[in-house]
Amino acid sequence: MTQTNPTSTVTATASTPAPAPADRSGFDWRRVGAWATEQYPLYILILLLIIAGISTSAFFTPQNLTNLILQASVIGIVTLAQFLVVLTGGIDISVGSVVGLAGVLAAGLFSGASVPVAILVAVLTGAVIGAVNGWLVAFRGLEAFIVTLGMLALARGLVYAYTEGVPVTPQAEDFRAIASSTLAGFPVIGILWLVLAVAVAFLVRRTVFGRRVYASGSNKEAALAAGVPVRSTLFLVYVIAGVLAGFAGFLLASRVGVGTPTAGNGYELNAIAAVVIGGTSLVGGKGRVFGAVIGTLIFAVISNLLVLLNVSTYLQDAFRGALILVAVLLTTVHFAKKKKARQLT
Amino acid sequence: MSDPSPTQRIAFTAVDVSKSYPGVTALDGVSLTGYAGEVLAICGANGAGKSTLARLLAGQEQPTSGTIDIAGWDKPINGPADAQDAGILLMHQEPMIIDDFTVAENVWIKEVSSAGSVRGWKTARRHRAAATREVLAKVGLHGVSPDEPARNLGPGLRQMLALSRTQVNDHTVLLLDETTASTTEEHFKDVLELVDRERAAGVSVIFVSHRMPEVFSLADRIAVLRNGRLVDIVKTSETTPSDVMTLMIGKAVSAFEAPPPVPVDSRPVLEVSGLTSGSATDISFTVKEGEVLGIYGLVGSGRSSIIRSISGNQTRESGVVTVNGDAIHPKNPGEAAATGIAYLTEDRRKEGFVKDFTNGENMTLATITRFARLGVINRRKENKRIGELISEYQVKGGPSTFTRTLSGGNQQKVVIAKWLEARPDAVLLDEPTKGIDVGARMNIYQIIHRLADDGKAVVVVTSEAEEALMLCNRILVLKEGRFVGEFTPATSTTDDLIRASLAGVTA
Repeated sequence: MTQTNPTSTVTATASTPAPAPADRSGFDWRRVGAWATEQYPLYILILLLIIAGISTSAFFTPQNLTNLILQASVIGIVTLAQFLVVLTGGIDISVGSVVGLAGVLAAGLFSGASVPVAILVAVLTGAVIGAVNGWLVAFRGLEAFIVTLGMLALARGLVYAYTEGVPVTPQAEDFRAIASSTLAGFPVIGILWLVLAVAVAFLVRRTVFGRRVYASGSNKEAALAAGVPVRSTLFLVYVIAGVLAGFAGFLLASRVGVGTPTAGNGYELNAIAAVVIGGTSLVGGKGRVFGAVIGTLIFAVISNLLVLLNVSTYLQDAFRGALILVAVLLTTVHFAKKKKARQLT
Repeated sequence: MSDPSPTQRIAFTAVDVSKSYPGVTALDGVSLTGYAGEVLAICGANGAGKSTLARLLAGQEQPTSGTIDIAGWDKPINGPADAQDAGILLMHQEPMIIDDFTVAENVWIKEVSSAGSVRGWKTARRHRAAATREVLAKVGLHGVSPDEPARNLGPGLRQMLALSRTQVNDHTVLLLDETTASTTEEHFKDVLELVDRERAAGVSVIFVSHRMPEVFSLADRIAVLRNGRLVDIVKTSETTPSDVMTLMIGKAVSAFEAPPPVPVDSRPVLEVSGLTSGSATDISFTVKEGEVLGIYGLVGSGRSSIIRSISGNQTRESGVVTVNGDAIHPKNPGEAAATGIAYLTEDRRKEGFVKDFTNGENMTLATITRFARLGVINRRKENKRIGELISEYQVKGGPSTFTRTLSGGNQQKVVIAKWLEARPDAVLLDEPTKGIDVGARMNIYQIIHRLADDGKAVVVVTSEAEEALMLCNRILVLKEGRFVGEFTPATSTTDDLIRASLAGVTA
């Protein structure tokens, strides 16, 4: 789905004539091999699952796995938002605050009486914040880090001002329905995550917009020179990221049942780490949604395992931090190898 | 092979040096001796291994097998720091200049970084200013202030600034790795003088290049590499550029034919009048369909300003530009493309292609909407077209190779393919063969002539007089932002163009 190469049907030899349609049906093992050598996050995940299975019998139980998916889904959607922004070479550290603000506004505005209205409020909140971020970054040329750092404080401040530090209880009785229901035994919230992942993958790999996102992230000057509307592309990316984070905020509120003022605290760290572990380059222009999903799962499995193993909460944070460092170290090894190979030519 | 008289002092010897990278043998059993007070050129097409050899000689990488001996240095060389101690000074193709340092700090960079006390160098500044001016004057940077931040210098000046370090750092071997690639003809004479001084001082100079005129005006001996092997070492006085080129590419180079004359009744496509932008002042010219117009001038003469302002890469202060009779005012390259103007940048790596894109993705970047419906790309349609383009332009590596891994010539083909896909009426090329080796140049020339055959109006900006004469129907010479002469290749020589660009003398 996300990892196929757009130009895959033509073999890599010079002066190959236009590809015959028959190429498509053939199964190219070499390409699978090439793909497999790149998937080190996937192997980390598999290794983790094996370790989890061995170290505690409580891990592979339906109850625990459902729990894991529930925890991973919200942060997974936030990671998708982060992925888009990182792809452009930017960073969005306001996602956690957007989750918080969207959650409390969804539960509190219009008394939280109607679920569709709540969703709309959450998504619009995200869109507005994303638009402000995007305008400052794309059209005013400000540094994404500092813009979203300001937004992180601003949005979180609004959350506390609005709630006065007290959780907001929505009136709608079915407010928890989305997050707690299942479809064929699978949590709906997890399905939503996967659907959104596929949608984002489609957006970046199959659409003109996606091509422009990669081009702007990889080489802004070249993209501009080729007539790519770099600014509006950047702007839209921040808006979409805001929408995703806003929706995640609603889901989190729905899962908990109330709009919590601290909801989404620290999500930006998890999301950035998951994106980086998933192989997306922080410089932009490189990365796949598949990797971001795997990165999210790696984090979820580790958190879950640490809880099951009764590791203290404080140590859990230290573990997560260490994992981020190891992951970033791994990517440098990875990219260093590629750089060496490039020097030959 | 010829050897100079045995009385000369050996500066370095490389014996049976090989270098392989995973899957590629870049150098294969090269033996080479350099003598003090001699300029040895290392020539070869792209991928022949000359940069690898330069990196090995400079101690930046270690040979897989074989040895490199530097006279008067018996320790192994592991890295650039050792190489510097051994007396090897490497000048890169890209000038190694620290933008945030002043000119003087860049000249004395070694002292700055190795000063005993933190402020040691800084306190001696006044004293140094005079010395710096003297050093700068020796490399032709007379008007440059030592306190000027280095970032204010243009590309040609930056290279000369880097070269000024030859005057202050002790060395026995000077390695110029394509150092003159961005040097203009006016600064080249400074390089020439500098190399002469080095030679007289007994330095062994190694000049890595594929530009024949420069090689022949600098070198005493020429070592020719082809596919990682040393083909021959010849004395400059006993050979000709075409012989060396033959050695480089392994077959005789045919002279390139001039473009066919433009029919008198052909229609003007691009008309520019009174254009002022950047350093270009009051520029007017007309290009007809099927015509190749050359704009020749020194760096800084406003050549790039002209075509960059026509193509929306730079703002226009005044002037009218029409394409097929319609006045256009592109605010960005995208708008220019929509009006039928394609601009091929001089800086391919920065503006020409996207570094994380494959050949295929780069080729369709400017025209991607053509393969899409409702914003969704039809990959089958896109891949089909990419396949056609790859074989049409004979791009090496195929559609899924990253463009950045290709040679300059193949990168340029990808960039050309991208722009021609937009079906422009006028094609503006800024230094189309910059950094492209001899063999591939012919290929680019052919493509440019094919453009003219297809009835497009072509403008080529170049700083090589020879290229202008070979490629164009008509050449306008620019000096300090104004046209100072018009030449036709049949009745002009490189001398005429160079003279006009320097002094403004018209033919």
